[in-house]
Amino acid sequence: MEKNKVVKVALVGNPNTGKTSLFNQLTGLNQQVGNYPGITVDKKQGKCKISENLSAEITDLPGTYSINPSTLDETIVLETLLNKNNSSFPDLVVVVAEVENLKRNLLLFSQIKDLQIPTILVINMKDQMQRKGISIDIIKLKEELKSEIILISARKKLGIEDLKGELVNYKNWDTSTIANISDRIDATFFKNLKKEFSGFSLYKSWLLITQKNYCSFLSEAQLNKINKFTSDEALINKYQHKETIYRYQKINEILKKTYIVDKTKATDFRSKLDRILTHKIFGYVIFAFVLLLIFQSIFAWATFPMELIDGFFAKLAVVTNNNLPEGTFSNLISEGVIPGIGGVLIFIPQITILFIFISILEETGYMSRVVFLMDKIMRQFGMGGKSIIPLISGTACAIPAIMASRNISSWRERLITILVIPFTTCSARLPVYTILISIIIPQKYVLGIFNLQGLTLMGLYFLGFTAAILSAVLLNFVLKVKHKSLFAIEMPNYKLPSVKNIFYTVVEKVKAFIYGAGTIILAISIVLWFLASNGLHNFKNAEQIVTEQTSNQTISKEEIHKKIASYKLENSYIGMMGKTIEPVIKPMGYDWKIGIALISSFAAREVFVGALATIYNVESDSTTTTTIKQRMDSEINPITGEKRFNFATGVSLLLFYAFAMQCMGTLAIVKRETKTWKWPILQLTGMSTLAYIISVLSYTFLH
Amino acid sequence: MQEILTYIVFAIAVGFLVKKYFFKSKKKGNCDKDCNC
Repeated sequence: MEKNKVVKVALVGNPNTGKTSLFNQLTGLNQQVGNYPGITVDKKQGKCKISENLSAEITDLPGTYSINPSTLDETIVLETLLNKNNSSFPDLVVVVAEVENLKRNLLLFSQIKDLQIPTILVINMKDQMQRKGISIDIIKLKEELKSEIILISARKKLGIEDLKGELVNYKNWDTSTIANISDRIDATFFKNLKKEFSGFSLYKSWLLITQKNYCSFLSEAQLNKINKFTSDEALINKYQHKETIYRYQKINEILKKTYIVDKTKATDFRSKLDRILTHKIFGYVIFAFVLLLIFQSIFAWATFPMELIDGFFAKLAVVTNNNLPEGTFSNLISEGVIPGIGGVLIFIPQITILFIFISILEETGYMSRVVFLMDKIMRQFGMGGKSIIPLISGTACAIPAIMASRNISSWRERLITILVIPFTTCSARLPVYTILISIIIPQKYVLGIFNLQGLTLMGLYFLGFTAAILSAVLLNFVLKVKHKSLFAIEMPNYKLPSVKNIFYTVVEKVKAFIYGAGTIILAISIVLWFLASNGLHNFKNAEQIVTEQTSNQTISKEEIHKKIASYKLENSYIGMMGKTIEPVIKPMGYDWKIGIALISSFAAREVFVGALATIYNVESDSTTTTTIKQRMDSEINPITGEKRFNFATGVSLLLFYAFAMQCMGTLAIVKRETKTWKWPILQLTGMSTLAYIISVLSYTFLH
Repeated sequence: MQEILTYIVFAIAVGFLVKKYFFKSKKKGNCDKDCNC
């Protein structure tokens, strides 16, 4: 061997594989940091003596997942490996992989190996293998990858000398390819490609075709040659997809024979915690406990700020009414706009608490374990694993959840998921549930610790989820789903939640509620107030009619005023609408006023409470302070003399909202996703019929 | 005067709801219809 020969080494790898740690171990203090020509990306180079006669000039290339660039950093890797005139073009490549995510890391390795540059695979973090229950058949893996492989621990300085020893022999490394892409994609296309670019390796030619926009070094003549193959862009894209799929298939085959993860042998903290959190019994118990904690907290912590907000708007309405000059616009402000805004803001505490918990679960990495845990249940009921994420997302809002179902490859499975998502309890149901529960369920404690109201709320969440699963079973039977999509989830490491991330998520959700649902609630409140404050002949002559009717009775002035207000509301436009539908909703235990709130909340469920607040406000004496809850709680059924929101009516309403499809936005998104009105109409009819029947049955049984 | 103001606010509220539910909103930016944004 020549004396003092210098070889150029490129250090390549996915981000966070310990590539830079290895670079530091190899080069020590012999490092230089500069810029790549023309750009401000750091170019780290260092020197390392690898034997008596051989030194290496090592370039630490930016971390990348593949050599199909999507960022500037990745473009640098591509250009360095394709351009022979580049000052950093390597004599050999060291691909650094991480032992725990070998599959993902091997995609990049297989691409570089196919460029037929001498390449070695370095698997880092060998010290973690035992703790994580990982074992690798290195001899077999070397055979399969046709490469030299060195196991190292850059952090613990293990295997570094072995690596240096292997680098000396780089000229003897096998440079044959791993993936024979030409036969798997289009043999004729690649045959022509090989003919046209006879001086290049086949994979390099293919990369020049697919990544020509990132290869600034290409000459005019080369570009002309390339353009002959790139006229059909869709075809090239299709071939690229095929290539990635084939590479992963090949990697899977190889790892199946050589890479074993036995979680039962793992001893690290993460594995121990995973074993508990995803345990077939304890996993579900812990999850149920977490849910219990969330729902208990919503009631325990949200009650006080909710009462403050409710009380503030009730007082504001009275102050406004007393201070503004008399007139319809003043009434609109005090009876329509202020209760409308109050009806929006009152739910901020609950939404904040719910999303703080959801963000913590996501941030810590626990949510991924829940998804994994629930996958086992879902499969029992005929749904695929990929349905889990949309279903769990449905607890926030059905609209993004339905959009998230796009990653389900089987159309029928996706359709079932879309159809059952609206059963899961979305955050819009939360305002309706909490106000009704606080009215009909006493604030008692079960076993001295569990708040009964919180338990009821949790029960409603379970009810929604059960309804979704049972509907999926039924639809599975009707639609006859044969193929189940595969489900793979990468479990993130556990970490402490970032306060900043949680804060941003909560602010974003609250903003979305105020500007999304809030504006609708406010607009509907104004429309409802208008319809409740105007009417035909009887409405206009209400005072005269009521005075005549009560002329023979001895009742106070205050009571006469109350009777006039009730008569006016009954004969207003909205009263007429409510009276029209009353016969249909009477078996559910509702009167025409609840009926109006029911119709209004078809736009969005959370409108229900605001609508009732407006209706009762129009009827009530505006000079006294009453909160939404007090108004609902004091409403009396004139026929029975009992509270309107008694236990039977309350349960009937809770069940109605649990099953009914009261959301125009969801219907619109289902139409968009299924490209037909057939499914949203079926969904609306099916869910509304089910909700009606269950509400009637529950009211009849409990009444 | 108060009545006129009331009718204006009512008309704005109805207009807002009609626009929200019966007319497609225009997307901002160069957003493809299937891009999830």
